[in-house]
Amino acid sequence: MAERIWNMKEQINFKNVIQTVFRDYLVLAAIALLVIITSIVEPKFLTTGNMTNIMRQFGPLIMVALGMTFVIIGGFIDLSVSGILSLVAVVTISLIEPLGQVGALIVGICLGTFCGYLNSVLILASGAMKQAEALFITYGMSTVYGALALIYSGGRTKQMSLVKANTSIYKTIGTGTVGILSVSFIMFLVCLLLLYIFQNKTYMGRTIYLTGGNKTAAELAGIHIRRSITLIYTISGLMTALGAIVLFSRVTAASPVIGKGYETNAILAVVVGGTTLIGGNGSVLRTVLGTTLVILLSNCLNLLGVSVYMQYMMKGAILVLAIWLDSRKQL
Amino acid sequence: MKLANKKILAILLAVFMLISLAACGGTAPNKEKGNEKSAVNDSAEKPDKSSDSGKGLDKIAFIVADMANESQAFSSRMFQKYGKDYNFEVIILDAKGDVQAETQAVNNAVAQGVKALFVNPNDINAIVPALEAAKSAGVVVGLYSSDLPADKQSARDFFVGVNDNQAGEAAAQAFMDFFPDGATIVEIGGQSGHDAQIKRHDGFNNAIKDSKIQVIDYKATQQWSTEQAMAIMEDMITKHGDKIQGVFVHWDNGATGVIQAAKAANMEGLFIVGVDGNRAGFEQVRQGDQSVTIMQNFENMTKKSLELARKVIDGEKVEPLNFIPLDIVNIDNIDSFTPPEW
Repeated sequence: MAERIWNMKEQINFKNVIQTVFRDYLVLAAIALLVIITSIVEPKFLTTGNMTNIMRQFGPLIMVALGMTFVIIGGFIDLSVSGILSLVAVVTISLIEPLGQVGALIVGICLGTFCGYLNSVLILASGAMKQAEALFITYGMSTVYGALALIYSGGRTKQMSLVKANTSIYKTIGTGTVGILSVSFIMFLVCLLLLYIFQNKTYMGRTIYLTGGNKTAAELAGIHIRRSITLIYTISGLMTALGAIVLFSRVTAASPVIGKGYETNAILAVVVGGTTLIGGNGSVLRTVLGTTLVILLSNCLNLLGVSVYMQYMMKGAILVLAIWLDSRKQL
Repeated sequence: MKLANKKILAILLAVFMLISLAACGGTAPNKEKGNEKSAVNDSAEKPDKSSDSGKGLDKIAFIVADMANESQAFSSRMFQKYGKDYNFEVIILDAKGDVQAETQAVNNAVAQGVKALFVNPNDINAIVPALEAAKSAGVVVGLYSSDLPADKQSARDFFVGVNDNQAGEAAAQAFMDFFPDGATIVEIGGQSGHDAQIKRHDGFNNAIKDSKIQVIDYKATQQWSTEQAMAIMEDMITKHGDKIQGVFVHWDNGATGVIQAAKAANMEGLFIVGVDGNRAGFEQVRQGDQSVTIMQNFENMTKKSLELARKVIDGEKVEPLNFIPLDIVNIDNIDSFTPPEW
């Protein structure tokens, strides 16, 4: 009898372990599986050249996704990143000639940060305290920023090769390396470190979790949730601006629709990483895992010769799976 | 606190509106001088304006598939620039890449009483019912850049554009001329499922079928995105390395990404062919990074469309199919072409 009870306990524990691994570390398992399969089928996957490619492809998305992590942990969503990204890219590249590369860089970063701040002002002024309301407001702002990018550029793609001024900073960001690491990857590591410290070691960082977890309780506990909301959208705007700079430095051109699709990919990276969509839980480190999976998926499927239609389907399936697992966690 | 926020919001919105208005004012195509004529060879006839001077301008609409597409934004500027030369007042409607919005735009144009409308369709099948309704309401219907399917062409009066199959064939010819003994190349397609992507791919592959040119890898992008073209090229370089002797990329801005990927991998001497003939393509050919660009002349396409609409409104018969010739631009002949504005 005692042996039967012991066996049952063991089975239950084993089930719990499997469930925990499945819920919390599935993304790691998926990355490992992807790496193993691709390495076997296409050994060139593990070459230094491909690792450098992956690092460079990582740059723009991870910046946007890191900013999005704060918004989602705070219990909101930000669809305006695609518009901000396009606007910052075309404005910055066009200002290199008149302002110089440092001046353009500063204006670009300030513009992105301001756009993020403006989102928070609109959300607060309209009293949109629910994720669905923020979704529509930021979607609306995305179209505004996107339209401004189109108006500003006249619908034209701005080419860096046509800029008659020094663009060495952008060339370094786009193609430079330090040892085996690309410059854009080092920028990401610096941002990750700063954001990790901010998120976990500062009062303001921790209030974002509380705001996302339960706004009413957070307010009763004396937390300025309006300040938290302003902060998360401003961080998102700032990180999107950095993403825009990394992106146009990499491709040496900025079209007024360069940011198209970044909002969904950033949300995908955050949610797949394990940050919960309803807020209050998650981390920038998880987003790194999620982004790794998204970038690796694209790289591996290209190397394996999978068509773009199948890639669409797999991305969609992974997002559905991630949200399903996220919902299961709440039970 | 709330009051302060509202004040800030009001100020910010006011600043936004001012910026938007200033920007719109700066780029308004109507401000272009009436006597500003293109140096591009113009095959379109210009009507005698005096014949209609007392009647005012006829209203027409150009319905853009997606203003975010650079060539279409340029086309809309050309419609506004040359409209008055054909006694037209041009309104521009943007379908923003949405099939349903494009149908609605056609209906709106008819409701506004346009005499003619030109559509660059997002979906060549879905737009047909709206065009049939417009035609039955007496509106002249012109298809711009992409034509309707063969069995549905009664829904339009004429089509003006380039033959994307021919663009693919011209690219193939460039490869066959440069590599008479054959070569292994890769192809990077435009937005998957887009009419131009399908036809450029088909035209290219049909033309090289019996040649020694071998396409060792092909992948289309999800959008006409330079970044996606670059990422695909990086992955193709990883997979095929020095086997790649040339690249056919469906659009010049995509070629920008391909060139950057090749440079990052220290690959030199790639024979890169793009389609569009835009400013990026011209600059890349001039710098020796891109070998050939196959040029679409949207200025001539617009003038031809306006000319045909005027003729149909005036009761003349016109050719239903009007292809604007493509120009093959390379380093040897680039100076004989007017640099494109877009």
